[in-house]
Amino acid sequence: MSGETVAPFTELARETGRRLRGADEAGLNAALHWSQPVLDAEAARAEALAAASAAPLPLAGLAVALKDNIVSVEEPTTCGSRILEGYVSPYDATVVARLRAAGALAAVKANMDEFAMGSSTEHSAYGRVRNPLDPDRVPGGSSGGSAALVAAGVVPAALGSETGGSVRQPASFCGIVGVKPSYGRVSRWGLVAFGSSLDCISPFGRTVEDAARVLAAISGHDPLDSTTVDLPPLQAPAPLADLRGVRIGLPREYLPADLDAGVRAAFERAVGCLRALGAEIVDVSLPHSPLAVPTYYIIAPAEAAANLARFDGVRYGPRRIGPEGDVRSLYRATRGEGFGPEVRRRILVGTYVLSAGYYDAYYKKAQRVRAMIAEDFRRAFERVDLLFTPTTPTTAFRAGEKTEDPVSMYLADIFVSPASLAGLPAMSQPIGRSEGLPVGGQLIAPMYQEARMLAAAGALERVVPATEEAR
Amino acid sequence: MSIGRDEVLRVAKLAELAVAEPEVDRLVEQMNRIVDYVAQLDRVPLGADAPPFLAGPGTVTLREDVVRPVPLARGPAEMAPEFAEGLFLVPRRGGAAMAAEAGSEVPEDDVPMDDPSEEAP
Repeated sequence: MSGETVAPFTELARETGRRLRGADEAGLNAALHWSQPVLDAEAARAEALAAASAAPLPLAGLAVALKDNIVSVEEPTTCGSRILEGYVSPYDATVVARLRAAGALAAVKANMDEFAMGSSTEHSAYGRVRNPLDPDRVPGGSSGGSAALVAAGVVPAALGSETGGSVRQPASFCGIVGVKPSYGRVSRWGLVAFGSSLDCISPFGRTVEDAARVLAAISGHDPLDSTTVDLPPLQAPAPLADLRGVRIGLPREYLPADLDAGVRAAFERAVGCLRALGAEIVDVSLPHSPLAVPTYYIIAPAEAAANLARFDGVRYGPRRIGPEGDVRSLYRATRGEGFGPEVRRRILVGTYVLSAGYYDAYYKKAQRVRAMIAEDFRRAFERVDLLFTPTTPTTAFRAGEKTEDPVSMYLADIFVSPASLAGLPAMSQPIGRSEGLPVGGQLIAPMYQEARMLAAAGALERVVPATEEAR
Repeated sequence: MSIGRDEVLRVAKLAELAVAEPEVDRLVEQMNRIVDYVAQLDRVPLGADAPPFLAGPGTVTLREDVVRPVPLARGPAEMAPEFAEGLFLVPRRGGAAMAAEAGSEVPEDDVPMDDPSEEAP
């Protein structure tokens, strides 16, 4: 983005349209809703804004795709679900307004796992998204459409959403950068809620700088979301020249004996790069992190069961009249037919763990383990400035490989869900290839220390051979 | 812990979710798989010293408590399956089903919504 000559915005919109058509024809299935007239209108609006602005706009003319759970008035918002088919929001999300104020074109809605529940974007009601690097493989999820659009070069940046790793994991699988901010750094106003204590709108970019600039544009307190932190908006940092004086912890629980050999080789090479940059590498322990996936799969479904109660056929989307013809039958028929299998499973699990007799055994216990996971991070950050781990235990898996066993799919998020539960900023960046497939490295920072994390990531990006095989 | 068919159907009813009969056995299997997996937390000794986790900033900044107009691009009539005179239209919660639950007779004015003779509320 930076340093490029900016073509007239209308030409950028046309070029984005050409690339979207190409991706659609190639069967990527990453964009759900877009049209050339809306792109053109966005370009005209951004151009007028740039002309009237005394200072250069930070994202001038940049096409930024939106995961289809971020609402905008011009295009439908379906969350990848039949239950919201045809729904068009009457208002824009705060992040959409902020992207536009920064000069971006926010006019493309990206495919996703239904209601952000999944790790492969195979759980979309509108078909699976293909990984641009290997169409037989998944792009990761749940923000797989956003990741695939960036990785395929259709758009330079995109927004996804994280609940338990749904931006970092697809960034790793697609060989791009994905940045989850601290919980509360970015407004959730206009993000369709899944797990409200976890959800974070998070950017993708092809480089650390691109992702950082988008994050800077969308961050900051929002009176419409009282969980946003009242700090000045994030400034995108310059990459550090070196990492001398930076202590980076390697949590041993994230390097299990059965870690994929190609992932391990790329990770060890990246650690060598950090050392070469002058970082002090420190062994640390996060003993409760291996419990993050079971903890997440109690807390997130419980919150989802409550949040998704609003989709009942009364206020949004298509309606089914049930066999009894009354309103409860309407609820059950609409929800039974409108939600896909994974969403139904999670609503049932969430309802079960919250129901009388099981609340203490599951939900209350999970909340206490969540506190222990967060406490591990707090103690680790007394000794180190950042943590570094592989983003995922394997490279992108084949489509269909994990759809029959939900738990095996859940384990794809084993290294990304701990930071989500602790609310911490974390990011994935490409650090190498294994058999041609991207490997991601994850940096995790203390609360609200995104700038420290991004500056170190920029330094690593300059030296790590991100597109080369590690062994 | 094992979850049986009855438990799955009870939870589905609580969740207001219709479950097709051919789907039930598979849901029983998958819910057991998931619940068995998450039950590993039972083996975790809980640390007494861990402070409770609070998502979000320690201090919440609330906006001024003033009612302001909401600038909507389109009204609820364009979002809802049925809408009239400021109300979302749904079938009546009542009729025979509710009366049967309550053990009473159906009130005379409690006609089903799909009765074409009924006017919109």
